[in-house]
Amino acid sequence: MPQVKIVARNFMDMVASLPAMKLDKLYENSFICEAILRSLPPLAKKYVLQLLYIDGPVVATWLEEWVLADGVSKHRVAIDRLIQLRVLTENLERKKEATYRFNPTFQRNLQNHIAQGGILPREPMPSNITVRLPSLEDLDAYAVEQWEFFLLHLISSTEAEKSTNISSSMMKVFQRGLLSQKDDKEPPRLTESGFQFLVRLMDTNAQLWYIVREYISNCEERGLDTADLISFLLELSFHVTGEAYNSNTLTDVQRNIIKDLADLGLVKLQQGRKESWFIPTKLVTNLSISLADSSSRKQGFVVVETNFRVYAYSQSKLHCEILRLFSRIEYQLPNLIVGAINKESLYKAFQNGISAEQIISFLQQNAHPRVTERIPSVPENVTDQMRLWESDLNRVEMTPAHLYDEFPSRDVFDSACDFAREYGGLLWENSKKMRIVVKAEIFTQMKEFLRSHKQ
Amino acid sequence: MKFSKEASAAEDDDSHFAEDFDEDLRDGEGKRRDFSKLELKPDHLNRPLWACADGRIFLETFSALYKQAYDFLIAIAEPVCRPESMHEYNLTPHSLYAAVSVGLETETIISVLNKLSKTKLPKEMIDFIHSSTANYGKVKLVLKKNKYLVESPFPEVLKRLLQDEVIGRARLTSDGNHDGFTVGKSAGEIEGVHDELLNEAELAGVAEEKETLSFEIDPAQVENVKQRCLPNALNYPMLEEYDFRNDTVNPDLEVELKPHAQPRPYQEKSLSKMFGNGRARSGIIVLPCGAGKSLVGVSAACRIRKSCLCLATNAVSVDQWAFQFKLWSTIKEEQICRFTSDSKERFRGNVGVVVATYNMIAFGGKRSEESEKIIEEIRNREWGLLLMDEVHVVPAHMFRKVISLTKSHCKLGLTATLVREDERITDLNFLIGPKLYEANWLDLVKGGFIANVQCAEVWCPMTKEFFAEYLKKSNSKKKQALYVMNPNKFRACEFLIRFHEQQRGDKIIVFADNLFALTEYAMKLRKPMIYGATSHPERTKILEAFKTSRDVNTVFLSKVGDNSIDIPEANVIIQISSHAGSRRQEAQRLGRILRAKGKPQDRVAGGKEEYNAFFYSLVSTDTQEMYYSTKRQQFLIDQGYSFKVITSLPPADSGPELHYHRLDDQLALLKKVLTAGDDLVGLEQLEEDADGMALQKARRTFGSMSAMSGASGMVYMEYGTGQKRLHGQKSKPKDPAKRHQLFKKRFG
Repeated sequence: MPQVKIVARNFMDMVASLPAMKLDKLYENSFICEAILRSLPPLAKKYVLQLLYIDGPVVATWLEEWVLADGVSKHRVAIDRLIQLRVLTENLERKKEATYRFNPTFQRNLQNHIAQGGILPREPMPSNITVRLPSLEDLDAYAVEQWEFFLLHLISSTEAEKSTNISSSMMKVFQRGLLSQKDDKEPPRLTESGFQFLVRLMDTNAQLWYIVREYISNCEERGLDTADLISFLLELSFHVTGEAYNSNTLTDVQRNIIKDLADLGLVKLQQGRKESWFIPTKLVTNLSISLADSSSRKQGFVVVETNFRVYAYSQSKLHCEILRLFSRIEYQLPNLIVGAINKESLYKAFQNGISAEQIISFLQQNAHPRVTERIPSVPENVTDQMRLWESDLNRVEMTPAHLYDEFPSRDVFDSACDFAREYGGLLWENSKKMRIVVKAEIFTQMKEFLRSHKQ
Repeated sequence: MKFSKEASAAEDDDSHFAEDFDEDLRDGEGKRRDFSKLELKPDHLNRPLWACADGRIFLETFSALYKQAYDFLIAIAEPVCRPESMHEYNLTPHSLYAAVSVGLETETIISVLNKLSKTKLPKEMIDFIHSSTANYGKVKLVLKKNKYLVESPFPEVLKRLLQDEVIGRARLTSDGNHDGFTVGKSAGEIEGVHDELLNEAELAGVAEEKETLSFEIDPAQVENVKQRCLPNALNYPMLEEYDFRNDTVNPDLEVELKPHAQPRPYQEKSLSKMFGNGRARSGIIVLPCGAGKSLVGVSAACRIRKSCLCLATNAVSVDQWAFQFKLWSTIKEEQICRFTSDSKERFRGNVGVVVATYNMIAFGGKRSEESEKIIEEIRNREWGLLLMDEVHVVPAHMFRKVISLTKSHCKLGLTATLVREDERITDLNFLIGPKLYEANWLDLVKGGFIANVQCAEVWCPMTKEFFAEYLKKSNSKKKQALYVMNPNKFRACEFLIRFHEQQRGDKIIVFADNLFALTEYAMKLRKPMIYGATSHPERTKILEAFKTSRDVNTVFLSKVGDNSIDIPEANVIIQISSHAGSRRQEAQRLGRILRAKGKPQDRVAGGKEEYNAFFYSLVSTDTQEMYYSTKRQQFLIDQGYSFKVITSLPPADSGPELHYHRLDDQLALLKKVLTAGDDLVGLEQLEEDADGMALQKARRTFGSMSAMSGASGMVYMEYGTGQKRLHGQKSKPKDPAKRHQLFKKRFG
């Protein structure tokens, strides 16, 4: 199974990696053009807006003249990004200066979008049909709950109380790269990158990107068109949070997708007497917002004391499960989780490939506001000790090796020693008992050598 | 075979840990508590604590109500750990007994707890409080106008007691009235701390005088009656109170505190617990070393103003107590006398203060004629106050003896650490009385009342040769000597002594339990030392030199220095060997340097002398010591102290200026250790040290410590057997400017 590295810094990275054909097709949707525009670095945004109404190629040196000397690197980044997304194409004709030209589809659609505004394929439903719509707070709470439930399910299906609609095969897809399972009997364990993924608690968006990306690539394997899916997702992100949209405006494919999205907490599904509808939550409308937005950072909740006790102000099961990865949970109270970090619990974490550094940074990033004022927010003796425990594990170095004994004669023994030494494989020798330990890597050579000496 | 040796060493250590893992599992994950279903009150943010059904209480220290909640909790529960942000307490029958005895009533406890709690109180907790307080504190033994009265506000309880044969017989009936009880009045509690938390109606109730009923008993039967009331019999343990103001028979001691003796707020508070209702209660006051326990003792004596018998653990501290009495109070020279094996001063006049050692009173053998006379006098006298220092050190049987030999109206026990490695803490509850007050170390540090100590554990890798010998089975009796005499440890110790003497001008105490090591270290470094066999005059001479001379800045002490030798000048402790896993010893030793020094404004966080006291514990890595060291630190860690691990002492560039630089010297030392007799390299045995003996026995059976010691929530695991921090540089804190000079130097 391929190791998935978490690089989904940005949804748009994935868009950018689509083949040119698909990209051009995406740009037929004006909402995607807007989403692309939003996602750009500030300088790139400015270039797009500045060049939007210029037809024909633009000489590269023009753009360079706009930039101050110390802004060259930013300029490069902006241009690279635009070219990557095929918003601009670069023409390097011989003997002429390099020029940039707008992607015509993108240009036209964005122009229209700016001039006329976008029209969504569906309108919010009138309120007389959709009774008992959730309030915005309720909706937020629902989204968070669904999302956490999904994550909980992801790391430990036993802890999750209710089941999820997401098929187990789909779950497996999400889990790959995050969990590792030696065999079927053992419960799967979190990998290092899995922990990294989970502890990005501060940043639901980043987690969402990762999952959505996995979701999209999985859909591709099932034969769905990635571009359709992406444009549907981006379109959804322009719907209004909390409004109800009629489900019958969706295609069959989309209707299936929206069920999955409901499990992730991106939309809430409701059923009226005749009609059914979906309500976008904050999670989906945030999809197109650039990642730099940090207003969504959650408040820290963890207090670590000098006696290695951990107090987490949280009622979330997910938090509890995360803490359990490296500490012993002792008390669970309505809004407080009490645990203790000890050598045993840390060794469990280390075995799972979670490093002390990761745990420390998790504790630091999620430090309760009460303790963030003090420096360091996690007591020094605790962090030092965690690192010491970790380095303890590295004191013994394992080298696969073979033991040879019962040599026929002292001569054979001596020459075997010399031979092994020559190859740099002699680990230990006891000339009294005529035993040697030799690195496994020169096993074949040793075998050859000994066979030749037997005769 | 280097590899396999290390492997077997690791296995060895593992077997040590295994015991502890079991223990931890037992009170850890095994009984993991899920109380998440408790109902949060809507205004829970403003309330400071959570209460769990199993008696555990969590207190936020940053709550606006912290101070009130702390005072309340310390009265009703045992502190488990008290670090900076979150305290944990345990509600136990003992702690509730103590609460009841300082005048808190069942309903008050429940209603205040409920007010402070973020959640609704679990029903189990309410039931527990009810059942624990049902019997406790209901009956008091009061000595009033020299009559022993059994007093209670509940007639049905008195009737029950009288049904007992022993008590029934002990009753004195002066007027022939068998059924009625004498009706009296006792003043309500006068403290106002918890009242703030109650509403006005309840407050009025508290301040009111209470009607009490009582009957008189025969003075000769007092001990028997008390016995009958203990939990193993009738289970109405009696609180002893002394109505000293109305005691007209015993003569008054004309003594008061000198004007310069200003008790600090926490000293006042502890005294107010003792004298809460105008009478003197028996009990124990727990204050960290250096926080002024003696002033509390002297103040109590000055309040009661009757004859006082003060008991200490050794002759040096007897001298110090006598000195403290003269320092803080207006007592006249002839009113105070010392009674030790060296100085037997006779008591003059009919009232005064006697300071003696426990041993002198409890001694069972033949005495000299002179001391026989004195002891006779002590036995025959009625003491107003029996003041007992360091109550945690003295074996329970010695207490029994002392208490049965001396007649006292009120007993006050003082200690810094209510932990014992044997299970005798519960005895103290009934022999002396409940814990009346326990101060929070960190709060005292913050208040500048005791020194802010930087604790460090210095990891000294064993040299190859010493470790090889250490692992040999034939050397099992020399293990301790081997890891204590580890040349790397010696060099680290020497380095620290030099650093503190020369660069900071500090006064240093070096502790070693191992006599062989003590002598070796002291001789090699040419420093004075004190151990059990050092005579009293010599001790005094050395301590005097240490106090006054500029040339004597380091003194080596054996276990004798653990308790009550007052060395206020010292501000650095280096511990090169210690007694297995004794948490008390660690705390007591730290206590030697807790007396606050320097200007208060320098000592606050960020001040130029934020840390002005240093506690180093030197441990040889990969040996038993690592394991013990963790156990030992538990108490201090629970008090909020943290131990920093230092792995690079002495610095790598240090050469022959420190001893044992050359391999030859190291090998010579090794030979010396190996050739010394087993008896020479063992532990020093002191008569007064019961804890140590208990530990040796208890080492194999680290069972449950008494809940009273506050150790029932052992949560912290031992340190690893690691050798060197591999990523030394990486793990440096972000802000090196915050470090103390010394540590800056260590870490570059």
